[in-house]
Amino acid sequence: MKNNVRSLERVENIKGWLLSGPYWIFAAIFFGYPFVWLVVIAFSKWNFISPRKTIWFDNFIKLFRDPMFWTVTWNTMRFMLYFIPMGLALSIALAMAFSKAKRFKTFFAMSFLIANVSSGVAYSIIFTQLFSTNGPVNNFLYNNFGVFIPWFSDPNWAMFSIAIMVTWKFIGYYALIFLSGLQAIPKELYEAAEIDGATKWTKFWKITLPLLNPSIVMVMVLAITLSFGIFTEPYMITGGGPLNSTQTFMMVIYTDAFLKYQPGYAATISIIAAGMSFALIILTRKLIERKVEFA
Amino acid sequence: MTSRKNLAQNTRAVMFYSIMFAISLIWLYPYIWLFLSSFKPWNEIYTTFIPSHFTLKSYSYILSVANQMGYPFIRGLFNSIFIAVTVTTSVVITSAVIGYALAKIRFSGSKALFNFVIYQMLFPGFMFTVPLYIVIRSFGLLDTYAAMIVPSLMGAWGVFMFSQSFKSIPNAYIEAAKMDGANFFWVVFNVMVPLSKSTMAIVTIFTFIGIWDNFMWPLIVMQSHSKMPLAVLLAVFNKSYGNYVGPILAGSVIQTIPMVIIFIIFRKYFLQGISMSFK
Repeated sequence: MKNNVRSLERVENIKGWLLSGPYWIFAAIFFGYPFVWLVVIAFSKWNFISPRKTIWFDNFIKLFRDPMFWTVTWNTMRFMLYFIPMGLALSIALAMAFSKAKRFKTFFAMSFLIANVSSGVAYSIIFTQLFSTNGPVNNFLYNNFGVFIPWFSDPNWAMFSIAIMVTWKFIGYYALIFLSGLQAIPKELYEAAEIDGATKWTKFWKITLPLLNPSIVMVMVLAITLSFGIFTEPYMITGGGPLNSTQTFMMVIYTDAFLKYQPGYAATISIIAAGMSFALIILTRKLIERKVEFA
Repeated sequence: MTSRKNLAQNTRAVMFYSIMFAISLIWLYPYIWLFLSSFKPWNEIYTTFIPSHFTLKSYSYILSVANQMGYPFIRGLFNSIFIAVTVTTSVVITSAVIGYALAKIRFSGSKALFNFVIYQMLFPGFMFTVPLYIVIRSFGLLDTYAAMIVPSLMGAWGVFMFSQSFKSIPNAYIEAAKMDGANFFWVVFNVMVPLSKSTMAIVTIFTFIGIWDNFMWPLIVMQSHSKMPLAVLLAVFNKSYGNYVGPILAGSVIQTIPMVIIFIIFRKYFLQGISMSFK
């Protein structure tokens, strides 16, 4: 009997390793091996062809002296300052509207979500045209309000315009996350508050917002991750300009590695950028995350 | 009294729905504009919203004239479909099998495998762009379909999703199938997968959309126009012939439509997926 159990265990063991084997091998080649390369080239000077030279921390030192690095860091922060408040406020409002709507629910959800499946290249092309100097949006603004906005051609506007595009794309997605958070809030809480004479405003600030905390943290983590990975929009629309105001980490990594042939330096930037995004996520959770208990 | 209250309520409802419709239309506007503009005569793209007459000039330009200029868009469309279908099929099958191993087989590496899958998901993809390029280059795969397909054939996220869903299926189902003499793959694909239809749909949709929309990686590894996926071909064409607005918009329609169709077909699962994939 005991022998039987043991042999069954052995069979399961062999089966487990056999089935997960391909995954281990695949991950070793396309995750482990690149990971080793990432570390190696971050400490090297190399141009893909000539022999690699180990230079230890020179890439990191160069990075902190590189004005471009600070420009990009500042650009990413600016993007987050535009995108995160705008995205959070609009998607919470949208989620509340969704939960209020009794009819046409699918239509509303679809119109916001279809933006989310637009391809990065195609939607960059659309917004380039819509926001161009003589494009439909400026025509509308000029005819109705007499103003004209240099969306992508002014260094002060360009990053904000990209933040508007990204908001357009992601707000439906975030609103659905908030919607499932809203639905988890017990109705009795609102009823109890109404009996105590709470206004709509107090109900929102004292019940809805605190109890949405897990969804808020989740959306912020998603938004931070997204902010550090932006590439298609600046590549397609502004090429990083005007005056480097839309250079992002991904743009710089791309330029340094594949146009200037400095993969070592690009790898260093990607490590530091990943570190920053991790640090920001941890900071967000420390500052904002609250333990939420219902009832 | 009640009628006045009803009236007030009705007015508020009408206002609410009108505002919601207006905002929805604003959100749809870029799509509508793109679609209408791709059928406009070229001189009307900026000046009118509804074209004075519909023309297929932009489409014939992007599909045939651009082809003669060395930008084969029909081929690009098929490249995109080929890459996306291959990767999605592989990801779904391997994720189901490995997810099963993770969820239902107790072996000495289970815990390590689970930790590794989680650990892999923690790293942002952009960290690997440069070193992965070096690896693909050292294999001599630059400018081949393999460069775009092979690195995406398996993924931690799919494995994680399937294993989470399989964990909630009682072992009795597996035992019963085994009693009837079902072999391992039969159990996975005829018992477990049908019981986790929504997970399969979610993995399929998100993998397909992710690979269809993938832009930076093929941009880096591909050189020849004939092997480029649509997104990259469109971007390259846009860089050199940016003033051909009509054809570029027609190309954008072609590039967007498959994702919109997939979205509309699977909308139910898409809505579920968003709230599910983060729990």
